[in-house]
Order: sequence, then C-alpha cells, then structure tokens
Amino acid sequence: MNAATIDAVDDDLWSAIGDPTRRRMLDALLIDGAGTATTLGHRLAITRQGTAKHLGVLERAGLVRATPAGREKRYRIDDAQFARAVAQLSSVGSAWDARLRRIKRIAEAIQQAQND
Amino acid sequence: MEFGTIEREIYIEATPELVFDVVSSPDHLKQWWPDDARYEPVPGSAGEIVFGDCDAGGKRVAFTVVDARPPQTFSFRWTHPAGEVAAAGNSLLVTFELTPSGCGTLLRMTETGFREMGWEAALLEEQYREHLIGWNNFLPRLAPYVAMLRVPS
Repeated sequence: MNAATIDAVDDDLWSAIGDPTRRRMLDALLIDGAGTATTLGHRLAITRQGTAKHLGVLERAGLVRATPAGREKRYRIDDAQFARAVAQLSSVGSAWDARLRRIKRIAEAIQQAQND
Repeated sequence: MEFGTIEREIYIEATPELVFDVVSSPDHLKQWWPDDARYEPVPGSAGEIVFGDCDAGGKRVAFTVVDARPPQTFSFRWTHPAGEVAAAGNSLLVTFELTPSGCGTLLRMTETGFREMGWEAALLEEQYREHLIGWNNFLPRLAPYVAMLRVPS
C-alpha cells in the first residue's frame, strides 16, 4: 500500500468513527458478535435504510466485514482495523492526559511557592 | 464525545491567572510538552515547537496562536505544514478554557481537527506519547476486547 492509499483509508476511518450512531453500531456489534441491517436497525431503533447506509460507511473504512446471509448481509467487526483505530485514538487522548497532569503539577507548585 | 475531538477537564489548585500563564507562555510550555517553544503568546503569532534535538532526528512543528484572553481562554493551531498559514483543514486546534472554581481553576482542553486532517497527527502524537491509559468513556468498554487482539505493526 502506498502513502496516498494509507491517507485515504485513514480519512475514512476518522469520518466513520466520528459519528455517534455508527459508534453505537460498533458497540452493538462488539457485544452481539454480528448483525444485519435489520437486526441492528431493531436494536438501535433506526430504519433499515439508515442502518444499511451507516454499515456501508463502516465497511468502506474497513471497520466491519460483510458476508452474505440470505437476502441480507451479515456484518462483523474487522478485528485488525478496529484495534488499529482504537490504538491510535487512545494514544492521542493519553498524550493529553499526561500533559494536563504536568500542567497541574507545575501550576500548583508555583501557587504553593507564592502562598508560602 | 466526538471521536474527532478530544475533551479533557482537570481541576487545578492555583489561580486562573497562574494557570493561564502555565498553558500559554513558551517557557512554561516547554516544561509540560515540547523540548523547545518559539512564539509570542499573542493572537496571530506564528512560531514553532520542537521535539527532541533537530540535529539528531528531532522534529519542528508549526505553532500559531489563535486567541489569548487572560485569564479565560488560550487557543492555538499546530501541525500545519511549514510555511502555510494555519487554518481549519491543515492543522489541529487546541483550546484551553479556564473557569474559577472554589480556591482554584477548572481547566478545560479541547483538541479538534482530526477528522479534517486524517491520521497524520495521531501518528505524530504516538511518537511522543508517554503513557497509554486509555480514554475516559469509550475505551474502558473496549479494552477487554482489544486486549485479545494483536495490533498489526
């Protein structure tokens, strides 16, 4: 895969996971293991059409994979792509956690010195 | 929480004026983030922050102050390509909001722009990360699942 392809895939990932409905779908798939547009639509109380559209976005981002199941498709989480997304997102968040802890430590040390 | 946005809040036992100074001044920034910081803490100031030694594989990253209103708000854009003017779409926007709370300050941080920028910034961050403790809400539910997986290198 060349760099341009990787960038395109990554943009899709951010967009796919940036939507709250799609995150609920990922949650449901994590818990249930698999689902179709119909079962996910029932579970999340959204239309089958809406569900199918969101599943399409998740599939293009590589976060889910579809296999034929009768007249529908059955979707599962793609473990590798999903783990990759979580790892990268968590690294950004944890970097800020560490920075904010340092900000707190520095500011409180200065304040303490001023109070003494 | 939007996955394209990081939001954090932390209580600090220090005055808003003091906390503002710590989050905005280049000298303080160096204490909690990059190894070097060159900018003026005034709106529009374009500078850079430096990670590591530039002569030994370190990295310079563009840094532009967007807003500076002591002691309430400090915001900046970073990671835009050198020579480009920082704007939505080419950089990440970090905003600090300070609110007096009790004897101290509630510091709220948001970082946005990931969806516009793709994953480059996340990869950059990863190089300098120090801890991996996970997100506040989404990740704890995912952690047991992710632990079973191997992240492809």
